[in-house]
Amino acid sequence: MIRAVRMMVTCHWSARRIQRYLDSDPAALLDPSEIRRLEAHLAQCDKCSTAVDEFRQIDSALSRWALRRMPDRQSVSHMHDVVDRLVRGELQ
Amino acid sequence: MQADAFRRYVEPEIEVLLRVARTLVGSSDVDDLVQETLMRAWRAMDRFDGRYPRAWLLTILRNTNINMGRRMRPYSVDDVASYTDAKPAFGITPLSTEEQVMAAFLPDDLERAVQSLDTKFRTVLLLVDVDELTYAEAAEALGVPVGTVMSRLSRARERVRRHLQPNFEAASAGRQR
Repeated sequence: MIRAVRMMVTCHWSARRIQRYLDSDPAALLDPSEIRRLEAHLAQCDKCSTAVDEFRQIDSALSRWALRRMPDRQSVSHMHDVVDRLVRGELQ
Repeated sequence: MQADAFRRYVEPEIEVLLRVARTLVGSSDVDDLVQETLMRAWRAMDRFDGRYPRAWLLTILRNTNINMGRRMRPYSVDDVASYTDAKPAFGITPLSTEEQVMAAFLPDDLERAVQSLDTKFRTVLLLVDVDELTYAEAAEALGVPVGTVMSRLSRARERVRRHLQPNFEAASAGRQR
Protein backbone atom coordinates (compact mmCIF):
# COMPACT_ATOMS: atom_id res chain seq x y z
CA MET A 1 0.00 0.00 0.00
CA ILE A 2 2.72 2.44 1.03
CA ARG A 3 4.73 1.36 -1.98
CA ALA A 4 1.76 2.03 -4.31
CA VAL A 5 1.18 5.48 -2.84
CA ARG A 6 4.88 6.33 -3.12
CA MET A 7 4.81 5.22 -6.76
CA MET A 8 1.78 7.42 -7.46
CA VAL A 9 3.47 10.43 -5.88
CA THR A 10 6.56 9.83 -8.01
CA CYS A 11 4.40 9.43 -11.13
CA HIS A 12 2.86 12.83 -10.42
CA TRP A 13 6.31 14.35 -9.80
CA SER A 14 7.64 12.76 -13.01
CA ALA A 15 4.68 13.79 -15.17
CA ARG A 16 5.46 17.42 -14.36
CA ARG A 17 9.01 17.01 -15.64
CA ILE A 18 8.75 14.64 -18.61
CA GLN A 19 8.36 17.42 -21.22
CA ARG A 20 11.38 19.30 -19.90
CA TYR A 21 13.34 16.05 -19.79
CA LEU A 22 12.52 15.31 -23.44
CA ASP A 23 13.14 18.87 -24.69
CA SER A 24 16.34 19.74 -22.75
CA ASP A 25 15.49 23.35 -23.54
CA PRO A 26 18.11 25.80 -22.23
CA ALA A 27 15.39 27.87 -20.54
CA ALA A 28 14.16 24.98 -18.41
CA LEU A 29 16.82 22.34 -17.90
CA LEU A 30 16.32 19.74 -15.18
CA ASP A 31 19.16 19.54 -12.71
CA PRO A 32 21.23 16.32 -12.60
CA SER A 33 19.51 15.03 -9.45
CA GLU A 34 16.09 15.49 -11.06
CA ILE A 35 17.26 13.63 -14.17
CA ARG A 36 18.58 10.74 -12.05
CA ARG A 37 15.35 10.50 -10.07
CA LEU A 38 13.22 10.68 -13.21
CA GLU A 39 15.24 8.05 -15.08
CA ALA A 40 15.14 5.74 -12.06
CA HIS A 41 11.37 6.11 -12.00
CA LEU A 42 11.03 5.49 -15.76
CA ALA A 43 13.02 2.28 -15.39
CA GLN A 44 10.40 0.84 -13.07
CA CYS A 45 7.12 2.50 -14.13
CA ASP A 46 5.40 1.19 -17.26
CA LYS A 47 2.85 3.99 -17.29
CA CYS A 48 5.41 6.81 -17.32
CA SER A 49 7.84 5.07 -19.66
CA THR A 50 4.96 4.44 -22.09
CA ALA A 51 4.12 8.15 -21.92
CA VAL A 52 7.73 9.06 -22.74
CA ASP A 53 7.73 6.64 -25.67
CA GLU A 54 4.45 8.05 -27.02
CA PHE A 55 5.61 11.66 -26.69
CA ARG A 56 8.78 10.72 -28.58
CA GLN A 57 6.75 9.18 -31.40
CA ILE A 58 4.60 12.31 -31.66
CA ASP A 59 7.66 14.57 -31.60
CA SER A 60 9.38 12.55 -34.28
CA ALA A 61 6.29 12.66 -36.53
CA LEU A 62 5.95 16.43 -36.07
CA SER A 63 9.62 16.91 -36.93
CA ARG A 64 8.91 15.25 -40.24
CA TRP A 65 6.34 17.96 -40.98
CA ALA A 66 9.18 20.48 -40.79
CA LEU A 67 11.26 18.46 -43.24
CA ARG A 68 8.36 18.29 -45.66
CA ARG A 69 7.61 21.97 -45.39
CA MET A 70 10.78 23.90 -46.00
CA PRO A 71 10.22 27.53 -47.05
CA ASP A 72 9.54 28.10 -50.69
CA ARG A 73 12.83 28.48 -52.61
CA GLN A 74 11.57 31.56 -54.43
CA SER A 75 10.73 33.25 -51.11
CA VAL A 76 14.16 32.42 -49.68
CA SER A 77 15.87 33.78 -52.76
CA HIS A 78 13.69 36.92 -52.71
CA MET A 79 14.64 37.60 -49.07
CA HIS A 80 18.35 37.24 -49.82
CA ASP A 81 17.81 39.75 -52.60
CA VAL A 82 16.12 42.10 -50.10
CA VAL A 83 19.18 41.78 -47.84
CA ASP A 84 21.50 42.57 -50.77
CA ARG A 85 19.48 45.65 -51.69
CA LEU A 86 19.38 46.88 -48.08
CA VAL A 87 23.13 46.50 -47.74
CA ARG A 88 23.68 48.35 -51.03
CA GLY A 89 21.41 51.16 -49.83
CA GLU A 90 18.79 50.52 -52.51
CA LEU A 91 15.99 49.94 -50.01
CA GLN A 92 15.13 52.04 -46.99
CA MET B 1 29.97 47.74 -40.29
CA GLN B 2 26.17 47.74 -40.28
CA ALA B 3 26.24 45.70 -43.47
CA ASP B 4 28.65 43.13 -41.98
CA ALA B 5 26.55 42.73 -38.85
CA PHE B 6 23.37 42.42 -40.91
CA ARG B 7 24.87 39.66 -43.04
CA ARG B 8 26.28 37.87 -40.00
CA TYR B 9 23.24 38.03 -37.70
CA VAL B 10 20.19 38.46 -39.88
CA GLU B 11 20.78 36.71 -43.20
CA PRO B 12 21.21 33.21 -41.64
CA GLU B 13 17.78 33.56 -40.01
CA ILE B 14 15.81 34.09 -43.23
CA GLU B 15 14.47 30.54 -43.39
CA VAL B 16 13.45 30.56 -39.74
CA LEU B 17 11.63 33.86 -40.24
CA LEU B 18 9.77 32.45 -43.24
CA ARG B 19 8.74 29.32 -41.32
CA VAL B 20 7.60 31.20 -38.24
CA ALA B 21 5.78 33.82 -40.32
CA ARG B 22 3.82 31.07 -42.05
CA THR B 23 2.85 29.57 -38.71
CA LEU B 24 1.74 32.96 -37.41
CA VAL B 25 -0.11 34.42 -40.38
CA GLY B 26 -0.75 31.62 -42.85
CA SER B 27 0.89 31.07 -46.19
CA SER B 28 -0.41 34.01 -48.24
CA ASP B 29 1.12 36.98 -46.37
CA VAL B 30 4.49 35.50 -45.49
CA ASP B 31 6.71 37.32 -47.99
CA ASP B 32 5.33 40.79 -47.19
CA LEU B 33 5.74 40.22 -43.48
CA VAL B 34 9.30 38.89 -43.67
CA GLN B 35 10.42 41.60 -46.11
CA GLU B 36 9.07 44.31 -43.81
CA THR B 37 10.73 42.57 -40.83
CA LEU B 38 14.09 42.62 -42.64
CA MET B 39 13.71 46.32 -43.44
CA ARG B 40 12.89 47.15 -39.81
CA ALA B 41 15.78 45.01 -38.59
CA TRP B 42 18.11 46.92 -40.93
CA ARG B 43 16.96 50.25 -39.49
CA ALA B 44 17.33 48.94 -35.91
CA MET B 45 20.71 47.32 -36.50
CA ASP B 46 22.72 50.03 -34.71
CA ARG B 47 20.74 49.35 -31.51
CA PHE B 48 21.27 45.55 -31.61
CA ASP B 49 23.94 44.26 -29.20
CA GLY B 50 24.72 41.03 -31.08
CA ARG B 51 23.15 38.73 -28.49
CA TYR B 52 20.35 36.30 -29.40
CA PRO B 53 19.78 37.52 -32.97
CA ARG B 54 16.97 35.04 -33.57
CA ALA B 55 15.01 36.16 -30.52
CA TRP B 56 15.60 39.81 -31.50
CA LEU B 57 14.33 39.16 -35.03
CA LEU B 58 11.29 37.24 -33.79
CA THR B 59 10.34 40.20 -31.62
CA ILE B 60 10.60 42.46 -34.67
CA LEU B 61 8.54 39.97 -36.68
CA ARG B 62 5.79 39.95 -34.05
CA ASN B 63 5.71 43.75 -33.76
CA THR B 64 5.78 44.14 -37.53
CA ASN B 65 2.85 41.78 -37.84
CA ILE B 66 0.89 43.82 -35.29
CA ASN B 67 1.87 47.13 -36.90
CA MET B 68 0.89 45.92 -40.35
CA GLY B 69 -2.58 45.55 -38.90
CA ARG B 70 -2.81 41.84 -39.27
CA ARG B 71 -4.40 39.74 -36.64
CA MET B 72 -2.48 36.59 -36.02
CA ARG B 73 -4.64 33.96 -37.62
CA PRO B 74 -2.43 30.97 -37.36
CA TYR B 75 -3.01 27.40 -38.08
CA SER B 76 -6.33 27.33 -39.78
CA VAL B 77 -7.35 23.85 -40.82
CA ASP B 78 -5.93 24.49 -44.29
CA ASP B 79 -2.60 25.63 -42.92
CA VAL B 80 -2.17 22.48 -40.89
CA ALA B 81 -3.04 20.44 -43.97
CA SER B 82 -0.39 22.34 -45.89
CA TYR B 83 2.25 21.05 -43.50
CA THR B 84 1.36 17.45 -44.14
CA ASP B 85 0.40 17.54 -47.81
CA ALA B 86 3.59 19.19 -49.00
CA LYS B 87 5.97 17.20 -51.10
CA PRO B 88 9.06 16.08 -49.21
CA ALA B 89 11.88 18.59 -49.51
CA PHE B 90 14.74 17.66 -51.78
CA GLY B 91 16.98 15.07 -50.17
CA ILE B 92 14.40 13.99 -47.59
CA THR B 93 13.62 10.31 -47.69
CA PRO B 94 9.91 9.60 -47.35
CA LEU B 95 8.74 7.04 -44.79
CA SER B 96 9.31 3.53 -46.07
CA THR B 97 6.35 1.16 -46.23
CA GLU B 98 7.84 -0.75 -43.32
CA GLU B 99 8.11 2.42 -41.22
CA GLN B 100 4.49 3.23 -42.04
CA VAL B 101 3.39 -0.22 -40.91
CA MET B 102 5.41 0.08 -37.69
CA ALA B 103 4.08 3.54 -36.82
CA ALA B 104 1.38 3.60 -34.15
CA PHE B 105 -0.48 6.29 -36.06
CA LEU B 106 -0.72 7.59 -39.60
CA PRO B 107 0.04 11.16 -40.70
CA ASP B 108 -3.71 11.78 -41.09
CA ASP B 109 -4.34 10.75 -37.49
CA LEU B 110 -1.74 13.22 -36.26
CA GLU B 111 -3.09 15.97 -38.51
CA ARG B 112 -6.59 15.49 -37.07
CA ALA B 113 -5.19 15.52 -33.53
CA VAL B 114 -3.35 18.80 -34.14
CA GLN B 115 -6.36 20.34 -35.89
CA SER B 116 -8.51 19.53 -32.88
CA LEU B 117 -6.38 21.77 -30.62
CA ASP B 118 -7.47 25.28 -29.68
CA THR B 119 -5.57 27.93 -31.60
CA LYS B 120 -3.29 29.07 -28.79
CA PHE B 121 -2.19 25.52 -28.01
CA ARG B 122 -1.72 24.63 -31.66
CA THR B 123 0.48 27.66 -32.34
CA VAL B 124 2.92 26.81 -29.58
CA LEU B 125 3.06 23.19 -30.68
CA LEU B 126 3.82 24.20 -34.27
CA LEU B 127 6.42 26.79 -33.26
CA VAL B 128 8.34 24.44 -30.96
CA ASP B 129 7.81 20.97 -32.43
CA VAL B 130 7.60 21.79 -36.14
CA ASP B 131 9.45 25.10 -36.54
CA GLU B 132 11.90 23.96 -33.84
CA LEU B 133 12.09 27.18 -31.86
CA THR B 134 13.33 27.10 -28.27
CA TYR B 135 10.89 27.99 -25.50
CA ALA B 136 12.42 31.49 -25.28
CA GLU B 137 12.20 32.03 -29.04
CA ALA B 138 8.57 30.90 -29.13
CA ALA B 139 7.90 33.30 -26.25
CA GLU B 140 9.40 36.17 -28.29
CA ALA B 141 7.41 35.22 -31.38
CA LEU B 142 4.16 35.24 -29.41
CA GLY B 143 4.88 37.99 -26.88
CA VAL B 144 4.14 35.78 -23.88
CA PRO B 145 6.30 34.62 -20.93
CA VAL B 146 8.38 31.44 -21.25
CA GLY B 147 6.25 29.82 -18.53
CA THR B 148 3.15 30.33 -20.69
CA VAL B 149 4.87 28.67 -23.64
CA MET B 150 5.78 25.70 -21.44
CA SER B 151 2.32 25.22 -19.99
CA ARG B 152 0.57 25.56 -23.37
CA LEU B 153 3.06 23.21 -24.99
CA SER B 154 2.61 20.64 -22.29
CA ARG B 155 -1.18 20.74 -22.57
CA ALA B 156 -1.04 20.65 -26.38
CA ARG B 157 1.14 17.54 -26.37
CA GLU B 158 -1.01 15.86 -23.73
CA ARG B 159 -4.11 16.50 -25.82
CA VAL B 160 -2.51 15.19 -29.00
CA ARG B 161 -1.40 12.10 -27.11
CA ARG B 162 -4.88 11.59 -25.68
CA HIS B 163 -6.37 12.01 -29.16
CA LEU B 164 -4.03 9.30 -30.46
CA GLN B 165 -4.57 6.97 -27.50
CA PRO B 166 -6.71 4.46 -29.46
CA ASN B 167 -3.90 4.20 -32.03
CA PHE B 168 -1.26 3.63 -29.37
CA GLU B 169 -3.42 1.00 -27.67
CA ALA B 170 -4.09 -0.80 -30.95
CA ALA B 171 -0.36 -0.78 -31.78
CA SER B 172 0.49 -2.12 -28.35
CA ALA B 173 -2.12 -4.89 -28.62
CA GLY B 174 -0.72 -5.75 -32.05
CA ARG B 175 2.79 -6.12 -30.63
CA GLN B 176 1.55 -8.42 -27.86
CA ARG B 177 -0.28 -10.76 -30.20
